[in-house]
Amino acid sequence: MKPVLTLLIFLLLLACARQEKPAGELPELVGYNTHIRPIINQKCISCHGGVRKKGGLSFLFPEEMFLPLEDSIPAIIRGDAENSKIMQRILHHDPEERMPQKADPLSSHEIDLIRKWVDQGAHWETHWAFIPPQHPAIPDVDDKENIGNPIDHFIRARLQTQGLRANPVAKKEDLIRRLSLDLTGLPPSISDVQAFVSGSLSYDTLVDRLLQSPRFGERWTAMWLDLARYADTRGYEKDAHRDMWKYRDWLIDAFNADMPFDSFTLRQLAGDLLPGAGPSDLIATAFHRNTMNNDEGGTDNEEFRIAAVIDRVNTTYEVWQGVTMGCVQCHSHPYDPILHEEYYKSFAIFNNTADADRDDQAPTMKVYTHLDQPKADSLKAYLTGVKTRPRPLLPKENLDQMQAYELPIMQELQGAQKRVTRVFERGNFLLKGEVVKAGAPEILQAGKAIEINDRLQFAQWLVSPSNPLTARVMVNRIWAQLFDQGLVTTLEDFGSQGNKPSHPELLDHLAMRFSRDMHWSLKKLIRYLVRSHTYMQSAAVSADQLQKDPGNIWLSHAPRPRLSAEVIRDQALAVSGLLSEKMYGPSVMPYQPEGIWKTVYSNAKWIESKGEDRYRRAIYTYIRRTSPYPSMITFDAPSREFCVNRRIATNTPLQAMVTLNDPVYVEAANHLADLMDQHPGSLEDKIGFGFEKAVFHKISSEALRTLVKLYNEPSPEAGGSITPMSQVAIAILNLDQFLTKS
Amino acid sequence: MKGTELFTELRIRQLQMQTRRHFLQKCTTGLGALALGSLTGCMNRNVPGHGKNPFATKSPPGFAKAKRVIYLHMAGAPSQLELFDYKPELAKLDGKPCPGSLLEGRRFAFIQGVPKMLGPQYRFKPCGQSGTYLSELLPHFSNVVDDACVIKSMHTDEFNHAPAQLFMHTGHGRLGRPSMGSWVSYGLGTENQDLPGFIVLVSGGKTPDAGKSVWGSGFLPSVYQGVQCRSDGEPVLYLNDPKGMSRDQKGKIIEAINKINEESYKTFGDPETLTRIEQFELAYRMQASVPEAMDITREPASMHALYGTTPGQSTFANNALLARRLAERGVRFIQLFHWGWDAHGAGREEALNMGFKDRCKEVDRAMSALILDLKQRGLLEETLVVWGGEFGRTPMRENRDGKVMTWIGRDHHTECFSIWMAGGGIRGGMTYGETDDLGYFGIQDRVHVNDLHATMLHCLGIDHEKLTYSFQGRPFRLTDTGGKVLDKILA
Repeated sequence: MKPVLTLLIFLLLLACARQEKPAGELPELVGYNTHIRPIINQKCISCHGGVRKKGGLSFLFPEEMFLPLEDSIPAIIRGDAENSKIMQRILHHDPEERMPQKADPLSSHEIDLIRKWVDQGAHWETHWAFIPPQHPAIPDVDDKENIGNPIDHFIRARLQTQGLRANPVAKKEDLIRRLSLDLTGLPPSISDVQAFVSGSLSYDTLVDRLLQSPRFGERWTAMWLDLARYADTRGYEKDAHRDMWKYRDWLIDAFNADMPFDSFTLRQLAGDLLPGAGPSDLIATAFHRNTMNNDEGGTDNEEFRIAAVIDRVNTTYEVWQGVTMGCVQCHSHPYDPILHEEYYKSFAIFNNTADADRDDQAPTMKVYTHLDQPKADSLKAYLTGVKTRPRPLLPKENLDQMQAYELPIMQELQGAQKRVTRVFERGNFLLKGEVVKAGAPEILQAGKAIEINDRLQFAQWLVSPSNPLTARVMVNRIWAQLFDQGLVTTLEDFGSQGNKPSHPELLDHLAMRFSRDMHWSLKKLIRYLVRSHTYMQSAAVSADQLQKDPGNIWLSHAPRPRLSAEVIRDQALAVSGLLSEKMYGPSVMPYQPEGIWKTVYSNAKWIESKGEDRYRRAIYTYIRRTSPYPSMITFDAPSREFCVNRRIATNTPLQAMVTLNDPVYVEAANHLADLMDQHPGSLEDKIGFGFEKAVFHKISSEALRTLVKLYNEPSPEAGGSITPMSQVAIAILNLDQFLTKS
Repeated sequence: MKGTELFTELRIRQLQMQTRRHFLQKCTTGLGALALGSLTGCMNRNVPGHGKNPFATKSPPGFAKAKRVIYLHMAGAPSQLELFDYKPELAKLDGKPCPGSLLEGRRFAFIQGVPKMLGPQYRFKPCGQSGTYLSELLPHFSNVVDDACVIKSMHTDEFNHAPAQLFMHTGHGRLGRPSMGSWVSYGLGTENQDLPGFIVLVSGGKTPDAGKSVWGSGFLPSVYQGVQCRSDGEPVLYLNDPKGMSRDQKGKIIEAINKINEESYKTFGDPETLTRIEQFELAYRMQASVPEAMDITREPASMHALYGTTPGQSTFANNALLARRLAERGVRFIQLFHWGWDAHGAGREEALNMGFKDRCKEVDRAMSALILDLKQRGLLEETLVVWGGEFGRTPMRENRDGKVMTWIGRDHHTECFSIWMAGGGIRGGMTYGETDDLGYFGIQDRVHVNDLHATMLHCLGIDHEKLTYSFQGRPFRLTDTGGKVLDKILA
């Protein structure tokens, strides 16, 4: 069995390699990034990289690659493949000596590429992502029909070479639902749909209206909460409560106010260090107080303080730079030119805050609910002698009566309290090495050495024009939110092990427009994206499209993803009329089955919320890290232990059980059934109304027949709460077209 | 319910999706990813019936003795010195101050200053043909000890419960990595498509310290996380039909949904729609198969007598019997957790001379019955059973805050602890590894958690270095960068 399998692997790999590169033909000029790095990363780097440097040779840094080896001759002699040891070793007749060792030999094509590259002077190139973006030229295209904006030029230029064509514009009913779900996370209102379909509401007006909706901030906050690893508890054994919700509310306001992403960045990472930092700036710093605490008895607090700092470093790089720093904790990066010491330079930036895995969560600030906050602010200002207008009407006692919550925030240590950072040998915090100074990895500084001493300078550098990655990583993330996958599909990894961008010029075009022309405005960026034809096209896919591009990399049709965990819930509540529009405040506890929270050393209880708090949007649901809300997890929401850039969508029977049986969904279906029953007209009219309320287009005669038949099926358990119309409503709320975005 | 034509089309579509998308995204990103490919989609595309279903049965690349795993985790860490690791020399030192050499540079959770040595609290004797030493607290286990291999030289890297449980179950002491059950169901799929492939049963009234993360899927797709089945209440969350709905009604609703979904498929041509149709049908079947599997009242009285079970409770005994029922039905990974082993001596329930004895009673009979029962059904040789905690206990008596405590207990200890393995590829009737006379360090054949994982995967026919998943720029595996298979304990 084993040899057969190995042979199969080999044959398939061969077939795969052929598919990717037309074999035989050597390019005129062999490029390091295009041709050589992929071979080295796949075949050589595990022995000759950041972890191991066998024989003294590493391909990670150019200076190391051409270094004389033990016999004082370098492995690569520029311009002379014949006498370069690299060629002698990959061609060696003795399998013990031949490189790569203990693996299949390189293909003759790969060998030819390396030979030609060395002969042409062995020019090294920086990985694409570490070179700052430039404004690329907008390509001309043959297919000019329905061009929405320059985005379509970049997309069609590639479609053309793939023998594909863009789909026509989607049906208006599908388009408005798609747009509304994407921008606000909620379905459109029936009246907007009617106006849009009839033509009295234009697409541009609709886009602007949705961007202005307060629901916009809630929807994009949902995206950011995964990155911020936001939760209402601390993690690990006790997993006790912590008041983090004010940070979530801050995000909603920031997205609604369209706070430019550069200001947003400064506040997330270093709001406390801004000159004249106000309460709002401090709240923003709770971003990095979402790290976990271990309150278990007998833990070493310094160990878990360090774990939190490490998480801050890794999260920051993953969110803003798409660089996986986790590897560099223990050794130099195996694939990208980042040194082990450089990790601790970044560690030093975050290693100087006052928090320390303490039970009291200090430092914290007192915060109040949205209703109380303005009163509290003006009272406090008045009491501290700041003259405010109008004078607060409340006496001092009222401040004590308002319930205060303690939000953990960042606070920099000063003077003698400052910590000295040392390298941890092999990542072990008990083995301390050399002292290091704060700083960013050299490879990300694009040739300009930058002085970084604290979090503020670091954040300023992230959003400076010389940073090669921040804008690219952010536009790619927003792109993925709208188009189901990023132009770089590995949202979390732009390094050389990540996937290459499908449309590198488009990525740079968007990055430049976003960070320069749009001054980091997310609303402008989103408006730009949704005005492209690429966004507006239909999601239907033909056999030909599926065959030529099964992964829809080239975007000849709109994606048709399943909705996110949050949207699945919010949508069901919205179309049945149950959804509460109440914003902000402490997290709520909607219905959850009995017996979910049986955790050790904690008396915390799930106490079901009352009234409209049971029907709030999903972002307000309480998240306990060791026992997250079960139906959300079933739909691939993460448990918020770590930063998650990309949810992997699954399609499972457990999901069907949630939408079929979870009392939350049954209640929504019953409500929808009531609305249908109340609708005037025939049974067909009632069912058609319910169907349209959920998916916004007219029901087909076939579907109508199916649902009428379901309605008329005799129910053997008369008197049960599931009425014939409820049966129909349950079916509607479980349709594929309801659970996906078309 | 199915249109045959549509489902032929489904398979073809799935294969198309797989070949390119999978290859481009996963299989060309490195050697590690290649191995992944050989275990999941990429290689098996010519196997009939292997579509996009992530749980499709996959043949292991190597020779597999075990088809499945039953893992019995004793959360809180039972004392090896009261159960498996007999230390007569330690008895002689009972009450004497601990030598300084054992304390220098060591980290303990609660011990402070110079604690006193604590001799074994129970009598030991050689048991079975093999003469394996067992404590008097394991009378039932002494009858099946010849089927088990007791490992006395386990050691771990973590000395607090939550991190150590994570380490034991995910190979890493911090949150975020996939559990072993997820790795195994990702690598091998499952044999019964009407039941979840990775099932978790919890007893003792509490989930483990590290919460549900010990059966989480980490960075693997969430479909591979463990599904908790419960002995009381709904056996799986949201399994029961809404109040007032009959099964017949449910069937008709699903039929209507799928009929309209077929129409959507014709409009959009999206292969995921066909998968969804399949998943709704599976959900319908699971609603019948899960309660059937979870219903121990169907077992004869002799079985209840053997295990010591009382239907309707969520006891370890009930879960042990359920584990056998699930194993019989082809569930790939069955994980039991039992709570309450943290015998510090800080209170009655967690004292070696009190609560600890009760814990032993709760598990001894049932775990022994499980081995016997599997064996008489011919299932033991293809089922790997593993029992153990997350670390060991100190040979010193705990002296929290430097004081003599009312109850007798031991602190957390990483240097050695005992587990046992049985069935599926493991040699029975042997002990492996030795500790020093005090039971402080492993001195022969030390077994790291990574080695245990490597050996378990080996029994399942998987090379632990080849079962990888690419995440954050590098291939990850259960055994991280370590792990060696324990050849000497293989059958």
